[in-house]
Amino acid sequence: MPLLEAREVSKVYQMGTTSVTALDDVSLAVDEGQFVAIQGTSGSGKSTLLNMVGGLDHPSSGDVYFNAKPLGPLSKKEMARYRRFSVGMIFQNFNLIPTMNAEENIKLALAFGGLRGAQRRKTAKDLLGRVGLSDRLTHRPSELSGGEQQRVAIARALANNPKVLLADEPTGNLDSTRAHELLGLLREMVTRDSLTILMVTHDRELASSFADRIILMKDGRIVEKDDE
Amino acid sequence: MSFLDILHLALRNLRQAKLRFFLTTMGVIVGVAVIVTMVSFGLGLQRNMLSRFRALDLFNEVRVFGKSVFSMAVAGVDPKLKRDENPGGPRGPGFRADQRPTRILDDAALAEIAAIPGVAYAEPDIGFTTFVRANGRVVPLTVNGVSVPNASSRFKNFLAGQMISRADADEAVIDDVSAETLGFKQPADAIGQTIEFLAPANEKNTSQKSDGQRSSDSSESEDEGGLNFFGIPLEDDSDIEPGSDANKATSDGLNQVVAHTFRISGVLNSKPKEGAGQGGRIGLMSGAAIYVPLRAARQWTIDHRNPMGEVALALARQSGQLGERETEGYFSAVIRVDDPVALTPVRQRLTELGFGSFSIVDELEQLRTVFLILDSVLGLLGGISLLVASFGIANTMIMSILERTREIGIMKAIGAEDREIKLIFFVEAAVIGVTGGVLGTLAAWGVDGIANRLAYRFVLKPQGASFVDFFSLPPWLSGSAILFAVVISILAALYPAARAARIDPVRALRHD
Repeated sequence: MPLLEAREVSKVYQMGTTSVTALDDVSLAVDEGQFVAIQGTSGSGKSTLLNMVGGLDHPSSGDVYFNAKPLGPLSKKEMARYRRFSVGMIFQNFNLIPTMNAEENIKLALAFGGLRGAQRRKTAKDLLGRVGLSDRLTHRPSELSGGEQQRVAIARALANNPKVLLADEPTGNLDSTRAHELLGLLREMVTRDSLTILMVTHDRELASSFADRIILMKDGRIVEKDDE
Repeated sequence: MSFLDILHLALRNLRQAKLRFFLTTMGVIVGVAVIVTMVSFGLGLQRNMLSRFRALDLFNEVRVFGKSVFSMAVAGVDPKLKRDENPGGPRGPGFRADQRPTRILDDAALAEIAAIPGVAYAEPDIGFTTFVRANGRVVPLTVNGVSVPNASSRFKNFLAGQMISRADADEAVIDDVSAETLGFKQPADAIGQTIEFLAPANEKNTSQKSDGQRSSDSSESEDEGGLNFFGIPLEDDSDIEPGSDANKATSDGLNQVVAHTFRISGVLNSKPKEGAGQGGRIGLMSGAAIYVPLRAARQWTIDHRNPMGEVALALARQSGQLGERETEGYFSAVIRVDDPVALTPVRQRLTELGFGSFSIVDELEQLRTVFLILDSVLGLLGGISLLVASFGIANTMIMSILERTREIGIMKAIGAEDREIKLIFFVEAAVIGVTGGVLGTLAAWGVDGIANRLAYRFVLKPQGASFVDFFSLPPWLSGSAILFAVVISILAALYPAARAARIDPVRALRHD
């Protein structure tokens, strides 16, 4: 049974009188402990798909299943809890809160998860240690390199122990060396901690070197699933 | 996310935009300061007016009338033919009972009245005029009985000495005019001196109490007396020339005796204090030149009844309206209530008990309503300025949503509930409200103080008046002003908070 599944997901945006189809009848399944990459050019609908899976957006038709349970019927509050505990997301532009230092960014996520006081501080330090940033606790995002910022974002995404990490172009703002380092870290987490990763990228080379599977998307459709 | 976390986030957000927070809060400060200053002025006006009236004991005293011996004596006469209902009572407007009393006002009745809820005490009005001797002079003076101790404002202002110490003490309090009449140069000279009440020697019921003094005063007595109507209550004519009449009265005869001797314990200042009403009357109790303990005064009126009183008593007993052993009761008494508000119910109860009553103000409630309206209008004016401030709060919040769109998107992406996003905004608004409320109240307090001092310096002092606090700033006013500011601030945040919670995270995360 797949951990994550999209069944016949479509997304149509209404732009005035014309409607734009961002996703057209997309189905895919991700098993637990897999590193899956979705590759495609910009506008191929891969980020839209990721937002659906991450619970940030709703499909126009079809549904996303997590642990075989559909997300469609969830209330706003349940959806927030899904984002909080079931999935973690990282983005191309990191999306750290610029006025908070590394530790505070992670503590914010832990606060939403309900961790308090000393336990929250300890967990934040542990998480930053896991991504190799034990010495960057009090640095603000602006004082960190791109690679370091993305590591903080990973630590934050994993704060409430989600089974799935959703990565939207995580290396898009990194040079190739940093990109390889970062994907190495993600690969290690999949292998060692059996984390499930769904990553969106436009870089075929990176996708093929680190992912277990590559799904190719074009114009809102899946055009190729290399392992099936 | 705990409330503490939300408070922490809200404070952090406010710190991030210090100037904007300061300016927004300034609006609330001004609004609250205006409200509090206005309302505290209204309350101060009310307090100053009421306390001024209260100092005159006009609002918390009721005069109660019992069935008098005179009305019993003439019970058979057609009321329309009677020229004077109460020939023995005080005269003048404002001293008429609201109904014809049907009960005798004796000590038992007074005890019953004193037990009415809200009544502090009931003090019978016993007054008479008699010749007194002190400092070698004999003059006729008015005498009144007083209960001891006495909370009335009349006994708050002594020029020398103090109030009568005990209810059974042979002590008297005189006013400053009498002290002068009796020839004391300074009020203090009168303290400790004896004052003797004179009565005809042949009177049958003469109190034996003062027999001891009789011999020692005999040498002086030889030069005095001569008037054979001693002891008959007269109308107050204390305006007689000091000394002259007294000398006439002491021309010859040995007919009078010293019936009762008191020691002067205090000299009252009869001049009204600043702010007292015109005429200087304080309270409803009759004024007198000399005050002695109630029991002594009562005893005197029984021992030295005037002929008319004797006849009235006899007629009343004869008609069967007054039992052989019953006393005739007091003509009237003054009741003091704890709170002017109790005046109306107390009077109602007096009517039920069968007494007549009189008070200056029956409808103090109406006065309070007027002040309530005044305070509301003042508060409303202040409320407008707080309303303006609330628009400022809403504006600031909406600005800050635009700035924080991405941050809100991030929080949603990592699992923030709409409720939590809203709460952050509400708490921010509440912090603005509390800060503005507290500082506004302090500002109002400062404005009150400055206004008081300016008014004293430029208005009161040049006129020779003493300092007056024009404002009243009770804790409940400060408390409710702060609460009001918080409520208004949160209301102002309703729309911004809802809008923040509605932010679409997908768009917000693309936002730069």
